[in-house]
Amino acid sequence: MKRTILAFAAVTALAVSGCAANANSGGSGAAEAGDTLVAAYSEGGKTLDPAEANDVTSDTFVVAAYDQLVTYGRTTDGGQPKAKTDEIVPMLAKSWKASADNTSYTFTLRDDAKFQDGAAVTADAVVKSFEHIKASSSASFLYKMAGIAKVTKAGEHTVKIDLTAPNHLFLQILPMYSFSIIDMDKVTQNGGAKWLANNTAGSGPYQITKWDPSTEASMARNESYWGEKPKLRQVDVKFIAEASNRVQLLRKGEVGLALEVPPKDVQSLKGSDGVVIDSRAGNKILFFAMNNKIKPFDDPRVRQAVAYAIPYDKLLNDVMKGQASPMKSAVASSTPGFSDAGYTYGHDLDKARALLAEAGLSKGFSFDFTLGSGFDDWNDDAVLIQAELAKIGVRMNIKKMARPQFLEALDTRKVQAYITRWTSFVNDPGYHLGLLLTTQGSSNYANFSDPVVDKSWQQAATEPDVAKRNKLYGTAQQEINTKAPWAYLYEYNIVVAHRAGLDGYTSYPDGIVRFFQLSVTK
Amino acid sequence: MNLVLRRVFAMVPALIGVVVCIFVLTRVLPGDPARTLAGDQADPSVVAKIRTEMGLDKPLHVQLVQYFSDLLHGNLGYAWHTGHSVASDFASRLPATVELALVALVIALLAGVPLGVVSATRRDRPVDHAGRVFSLLGASMPLFWLGLMVIVVFYNKLGWAPAPLGRVSEGVHPPTHITGLYILDSLMTGDLVALRSSLSHIIWPALCLATGSTAIIARMTRSAMLEVIGQDYVRTAVSKGLKPSVVTLKHALRNAAPVIVTISGLQFGQLMGGAVITETVFTWPGIGSYVVQSVLATDYAPVQAFTLVAAVVYLAANLLVDLVNARLDPRIADA
Repeated sequence: MKRTILAFAAVTALAVSGCAANANSGGSGAAEAGDTLVAAYSEGGKTLDPAEANDVTSDTFVVAAYDQLVTYGRTTDGGQPKAKTDEIVPMLAKSWKASADNTSYTFTLRDDAKFQDGAAVTADAVVKSFEHIKASSSASFLYKMAGIAKVTKAGEHTVKIDLTAPNHLFLQILPMYSFSIIDMDKVTQNGGAKWLANNTAGSGPYQITKWDPSTEASMARNESYWGEKPKLRQVDVKFIAEASNRVQLLRKGEVGLALEVPPKDVQSLKGSDGVVIDSRAGNKILFFAMNNKIKPFDDPRVRQAVAYAIPYDKLLNDVMKGQASPMKSAVASSTPGFSDAGYTYGHDLDKARALLAEAGLSKGFSFDFTLGSGFDDWNDDAVLIQAELAKIGVRMNIKKMARPQFLEALDTRKVQAYITRWTSFVNDPGYHLGLLLTTQGSSNYANFSDPVVDKSWQQAATEPDVAKRNKLYGTAQQEINTKAPWAYLYEYNIVVAHRAGLDGYTSYPDGIVRFFQLSVTK
Repeated sequence: MNLVLRRVFAMVPALIGVVVCIFVLTRVLPGDPARTLAGDQADPSVVAKIRTEMGLDKPLHVQLVQYFSDLLHGNLGYAWHTGHSVASDFASRLPATVELALVALVIALLAGVPLGVVSATRRDRPVDHAGRVFSLLGASMPLFWLGLMVIVVFYNKLGWAPAPLGRVSEGVHPPTHITGLYILDSLMTGDLVALRSSLSHIIWPALCLATGSTAIIARMTRSAMLEVIGQDYVRTAVSKGLKPSVVTLKHALRNAAPVIVTISGLQFGQLMGGAVITETVFTWPGIGSYVVQSVLATDYAPVQAFTLVAAVVYLAANLLVDLVNARLDPRIADA
């Protein structure tokens, strides 16, 4: 009986195999080495729509498939290429001119740029792309922040953008992936903006040929790219949630580049043959925020005392294993316009005690600290800070929360103290301080409100002269450093681990790898 | 046939109950999906816009009615965190999970049943003690740790296992899509390249996943066998002078079979759940890692759909168990 079934199964299998196509019977699918790269990312991304993308993986694909009007300059720092975000250089726009009062910009587009299916990049496409951005969920607020009033066609290859007021952030925001120029006619033909979530219609250096957020994505060089031809013919991106797997695959050479390598693995990878660790300061910061409207943190002396009690060296060395650097202003040190004026804090428990006594809290106090889940370093930081605060009589009650709850709790602006990280994608103090530390700031969950900061920030927003503007931002930073709404913990390094022989990696503050800049030499 | 139909109809209230429960549970949990989706830098206006788009601004009962009407139209909803419909996400991932769980179940049965039988017939001998130690270890081993150890040892150090990356090796095409189960598909298309590659990929996560179930099936088989061995008819068989192997396999094992079938059905459900961890560790592109991401992103629709699928799988496994048992023991069918 059993034998009959087996025989039957075998015959069926053979019979079916005779007629069905066999996926591996054709030529081999092996790729030649040298012009391909396999990269390991932790997650697969959410959307390919430039105006809705807001995670590293999605942004990476958008940057590969789309061009913007202008882009950030590049420079070298100690022999390594890095972005120069305060220098704006041509991309789809070959030149631009601001009106005398800085409220209107006229962009002249290059006339040789083509979308990936052959259509020319025209003023119409730019106008429609800006309409798409304005109507989007994610990027519409950047549109507002850039102060754009009206986008009009002034010729086949000329676009005029009017602003509501002079705004130096405008040119800073324009190179962001959110402001990609899209072939909107193609989008309309395919049924509208929803189509963009899974498809691309750009003029960028790569085409996304495959994207499955659960496993992998592939991009192929756009052979008819108008700009400099990318050196890598193909890039495969594997999505590997487990950090230790990314590290092992890199070590074995199965992937050529890995992102989000935990600090402890950076140390072990450093000794590996053929692995290069590129660990450089970014503008992602971590801070300990105290709610300025809730006692006892409404007294600046109490906040300063906490800032003196933080064991900074332990956080940098024990938690981050050297993959972070000291933070000395609310603005990251790599941001143009950074100033550490007024920053006097270091680990000094005597000073902390004295400040507490001055504030009438010589016996200490106790407070609630909300810890959001999802990041190992936060947890370790909180425990170390708790132990240190206990030495000056301050009891920190750690309340843990899942990340979605944590974000919701912050929104109420009633959380007494918390730590959180922040990356300003627009690398400018105006963007950074405006969202985080002005009275009206939409992410000012610590309720910091200071007239000096508000006033300097407002003046700086419309100040066209860089030196004068930075002076105003300097004043704001000094005030913040002194009043200490946050204790600054550290600035994260952007860590990219890759195989030796990979050249051209340029560090951008947004942490996004531009694959078209890379080449493999061996 | 009647029995099958009756049982299938009896599942409907259970399924409706599951759907309502999970719907209410996901909604009363703290955490705003729109907030999570928008990211921590988003303006409140952005969050409000997304909330409206997701339909979260409507009252709970309206959302529930909408959800049921969508379900009846075969629409499982939209997975916001991936930007795809849940149905298409499931279609691409569910076969991987089912294949992994099935292979693990086969391994667990092939290892667990003989181990249990041997332990029972050699009671209190060294084999039985070894089996007990294995069961204890297997049932209490943290799955993620086991998975990571397997990768470190067999992939990294020894180089026996392929890279923990998906279901086939780099450069090998997945077999032509028929069922989505790679082993079956490559057998049906005679694709030996894909067969070899998918076997070498599935064996390691399946072994890890099977460890716990092997232990449990072995223990349950052992106790079921011991109970049967003590019965009069087994003693009669032995006294008639039948060979011990015939007594064990024909008389004892056949009568212990209903218990083994029942536990296997339950274990299949367990394996689908255990796949959540195994898949994350081995980068297996199945439903498990997807649901973990959905939960972290408070993405309701995939979580609800997964619960629904899990309930269906459990009920179907139960039904199958009952039908098989009815075949094995006619008394059950009448009960």
